[in-house]
Amino acid sequence: MSILAYNGGAMVAMKGENCVSIAADRRFGIQAQTVATNFQKIFEMGPHLYVGLPGLATDTQTVMEKLRFRKNLYELKENRRISPKVFSAMLSNMLYEKRFGPFFVEPVVAGLDPKTYEPFICNMDLIGCINLPTDFVVGGTASAQLYGMCEALWEPNLGPDDLFETTSQALINAFDRDAISGWGATVYIIEKDKVTIKNLKTRMD
Amino acid sequence: MSLAEVCGIKEFDSSFNSHTIYQNDVNNLCMNFTNNLELGVPPFANPAENLSRFTKDEAGRDIKMKFDHGTTTLGFMYQGGVVLAVDSRATGGQFIGSQTMKKIVEINDFLLGTLAGGAADCVYWDRVLAKQCRMYELRNRERISVAAASKLMANMVYNYKGMGLSMGMMLAGWDKRGPQLYYVDSEGTRTPGKVFSVGSGSIYAFGVLDSGYQWDLTDEEAYDLGRRAIYHATHRDAYSGGIVRVYHMKSTGWILIDNNDCNDLHYKYQEEKENLENNV
Amino acid sequence: MSLLARPHYPDYSTAPVQHQFYPYADNGGSVVAIAGDDFVVIGADTRLSAGFSIYTRNQNKLFPLAKTTVLGCSGCWCDTLTLTRILKSRMQMYAQEHNKTMSTTACAQMLSTMLYYKRFFPYSISNVLVGLDNEATTLSGTAKRRFTKLGGSAGALLQPLLDNQIGQKNMEIVSKEPLSQEKALKILKDVFISAAERDIYTGDSVFINIITKDGIQEDKFELRKD
Repeated sequence: MSILAYNGGAMVAMKGENCVSIAADRRFGIQAQTVATNFQKIFEMGPHLYVGLPGLATDTQTVMEKLRFRKNLYELKENRRISPKVFSAMLSNMLYEKRFGPFFVEPVVAGLDPKTYEPFICNMDLIGCINLPTDFVVGGTASAQLYGMCEALWEPNLGPDDLFETTSQALINAFDRDAISGWGATVYIIEKDKVTIKNLKTRMD
Repeated sequence: MSLAEVCGIKEFDSSFNSHTIYQNDVNNLCMNFTNNLELGVPPFANPAENLSRFTKDEAGRDIKMKFDHGTTTLGFMYQGGVVLAVDSRATGGQFIGSQTMKKIVEINDFLLGTLAGGAADCVYWDRVLAKQCRMYELRNRERISVAAASKLMANMVYNYKGMGLSMGMMLAGWDKRGPQLYYVDSEGTRTPGKVFSVGSGSIYAFGVLDSGYQWDLTDEEAYDLGRRAIYHATHRDAYSGGIVRVYHMKSTGWILIDNNDCNDLHYKYQEEKENLENNV
Repeated sequence: MSLLARPHYPDYSTAPVQHQFYPYADNGGSVVAIAGDDFVVIGADTRLSAGFSIYTRNQNKLFPLAKTTVLGCSGCWCDTLTLTRILKSRMQMYAQEHNKTMSTTACAQMLSTMLYYKRFFPYSISNVLVGLDNEATTLSGTAKRRFTKLGGSAGALLQPLLDNQIGQKNMEIVSKEPLSQEKALKILKDVFISAAERDIYTGDSVFINIITKDGIQEDKFELRKD
């Protein structure tokens, strides 16, 4: 069994019209055993910047701490907000530093540019190869299911409400077909003036 | 041809003619139609270990061959008979193949079997058992006892011990000697008992079951205990879920009590818990 | 020193090489079936591939077994050929012995038993058997999957979408209207288009069989070909 599937988890991010969404499940499990159903996998890295770290739970937290440290140093030194693009490059470099003993996370970054409010999403593999699509990115153990859902449900120029519905439906239906993710979900809708965080009611088996 | 005659092969033509080869193929690939206990022999030794070495293509890529697995089933005897409760999820690896599988097989009006382990193994051997029980009934003009039925099952699968069959089943019934509950598995174990739980979620189910179990439960209490035990197992075990099915074996035969979606059960139990906390 | 400098010619190597027999191949493909009240639609893509190469872009993977029974296969193609050949012979034997065609449910049971015969050296196929039941009007067109379950190469991509769109899972407002044939066909096409985007073993075109009490009607539509 893959180390990336030791704890389980599902993650998706989508681009909309002047907004982006990022969503993940809330399970923390050890193989088949569900230990907690309030595990955080998405972290705030700025007013319009979020990073999701699906994969091995211990690395999720370690990478988050390291990232926060490096981001804070950057922001103190530069005296300005980090942009999603720079943040992703920094994360990618950080992962590649461990090329031969990697962190077992497949990060997803979603946010708006601090100046232009341009939507940004990307994901990368566990050694930092960045993928920058124009529509959506997925990660975690339910990624095959998520690809199938997103490919059918996503359309260009979704408004925040439609984007929320699309993201939620894609995530919930995808992880309902994956044994080791689910048990609740959190969706973040990131707009220029506000960030909406919603916890979804889902199947708990 | 003459060489064949010298060698004493008389029917050289017929044994190699395409019609015969085809005929043999049709028969040889369906031997279990005539004898249910006879399965195909693999072209290598020790299939339990060696099959995995062959599930690769020429390039060395894995051929995905995942059998459906993962279950929580339970059964217990009490003053009113036997209660069986099961979940309905079938998983192949991490992928959930089905959320609506029937894991209780209705062998006849007085005999129920539960499935855990390899889905195909359980379904096939339960069907063979059902046939044999019916044959017994026709031959002897009375229903087979649960002890005999479970022994038939144990003996059949014992023939394939070490070949990689994977099943853990409970047989519940009501015969001349009253209510009966047996556990049979693919290792050849066969044992009667009062409380069983089988499958990947059984440890969680046992936790609930053992703490709530008494011989003097009423029918409703017994159903609720079975239902709760399975529900809690589906909540904690990734490979169990879907629908909780509860059956009751009575002196008059089995009845299906109900099917409840785990989703509805979860929010119902959660509400009950909140109400209880508010009242304190 | 001399050892390090010696060039390595694999063709002239005398070291023992271990060869192994690989009886299985994964030829890919996806099969999707949707049942309504009085009809079933089943579709299979037409790409037959091995690894990164494509054998053919025009392979029908649907096997009509009787007037209202169709089997869709994906996985190891050589196993599929043998299985369907034996299955067809057995159905013919049944027809001649009992003077009636086999029902879909009986056919499903026979298929399950035949697959189980090869328990220790399985057919590496995922099978979807569809048809109408005895009354020929009501539904029994459920996908029967037993034993080796590959779900097709894009099974994991397609299944949640079908749960959502057909099973109406996780929907607040559930429509009570029975599924129409047009809607089923539309969803079938949509899921194949999605699968072709992300699964390299699915593509080219899709063969569709629409089964009603009047018989089997064929249809086809194109997918992306890269």
